Amino acid sequence: MKKALVIQEDIIILNILERLVTLNHYDCRAIRTLNDLNIEDQQVNFDIIISDILFDGISPLDFVFQIQEIILHKSLIIVTNMGQLNVRLEVLASKNVDGFFAVPLNMNLIEKLIV
Amino acid sequence: MLNLLLIFLIKLFAVILIFLWITIGVSIVYRRRRTKNLLLIEHTFAEVISKHLYPYPGEELSLIDIQRRFRNVGIIPSKPRNVQYLIDLMIRTQRSLLGENYEKLVILFNQIPPYGASVSKLKSKKWYVKARGIREIYEMDQNRYVKEVIKERNNKNIYVRREAQIAMVIFLGWESLRFLSYLKREMTLWQQIKIVEKLHDLYPQPNLEYLRRAYESEKSYANELLMRIIRKFNLLTEVDYILKFIDHINYDTRESAIYCISSFYLSNTQLSVLKEKYFEVPNIAQQIQLLKYIDKISFEKDLVFYKKLLYNADDIIKLSTAEILWNNGYKEEVQEFYYQQYADNQSRNLKEA
Repeated sequence: MKKALVIQEDIIILNILERLVTLNHYDCRAIRTLNDLNIEDQQVNFDIIISDILFDGISPLDFVFQIQEIILHKSLIIVTNMGQLNVRLEVLASKNVDGFFAVPLNMNLIEKLIV
Repeated sequence: MLNLLLIFLIKLFAVILIFLWITIGVSIVYRRRRTKNLLLIEHTFAEVISKHLYPYPGEELSLIDIQRRFRNVGIIPSKPRNVQYLIDLMIRTQRSLLGENYEKLVILFNQIPPYGASVSKLKSKKWYVKARGIREIYEMDQNRYVKEVIKERNNKNIYVRREAQIAMVIFLGWESLRFLSYLKREMTLWQQIKIVEKLHDLYPQPNLEYLRRAYESEKSYANELLMRIIRKFNLLTEVDYILKFIDHINYDTRESAIYCISSFYLSNTQLSVLKEKYFEVPNIAQQIQLLKYIDKISFEKDLVFYKKLLYNADDIIKLSTAEILWNNGYKEEVQEFYYQQYADNQSRNLKEA
């Protein structure tokens, strides 16, 4: 079974994404911040990570780099409240990001990406 | 005597302190419970919504289940603050989703209990409660309450009628321009801008029929609003409407007309109309703005027009005109004007002498 990791501070979005991912036949791990990550998680090679970029104490771009360093994964999708054009461009410029979705978003687009 | 007094004071102080500690204790316990309760509501809401949008096979939630789950976490009419919290959660969720899910949520929110809360706010006497109720109704797209909301468009409180007017634009789109002539109170610049933006976000396809019908309105805020709409939607065919207000008696209306027309290029006929009206504009600063605009959009410089200005207008305008002519290579005309002025003075001096 394919494995997915969802990191979202907003619990509503987190729950919705978790179900969306599970319904598309992933084994899903849903957490609210990076701190909730345990050691076992760091040894898993996730097929997909869906994450926010807005967290306390770290800049959005740093977060993207950090996540790429500490967790093994194949593709990374950003879902965030912070949809300003410059943030979007910066994040997309940092390669290995497969999608950037700003709220308000259409879940069907994410579904297409992960199927 | 003094001893007694001191002891009494100390006791009094102790009593006050104990009272304070108790209050703090109660407050802490209350806050803890409250946060816990709100968290519980949030988690339940998140779970219910995600189950409703993406149910696992054989796990669909019925409406009654949803209502029961909310009731269990304290969403009942006798606890209005919990209900308010739920409404805020609903608005937050609805704002972050688009497409199919959004439609599903609109239908769901129409059916679950707290909904009456927003409409009952409209009956409140306090303006901020009323405005909030209207806002909740339009944020959640509950269009069955349009009638109640539209009634508030002439409310004496600026914030209430502001929200009501925005709700009208959101629900009715271009058709809401129909109400423009029936508004009884002023509409501020900020409000006009907000309406234009909402219209542009939600109804990007202009409906000229409603727009043209609204032209008959004579109120100045209505004229300004329509001009701003024409500018925002770049309606080339409607430029004549803006042109009509270039020499309006009202300063603000002229100001918006000049602002709005600046984003268009004019045909030759329109340009000549503008030049005719130019002399009727009673404010020099605005005339200069217009002069710059005319210079920007005309490819061939109209010497007759500029000469008329050079010899007849106010000093500041003369200066700007001379500048335009000079920069466009009509140096002789400027020099001629300059010497003619000098000659005039000289002949006057001679006469006086």
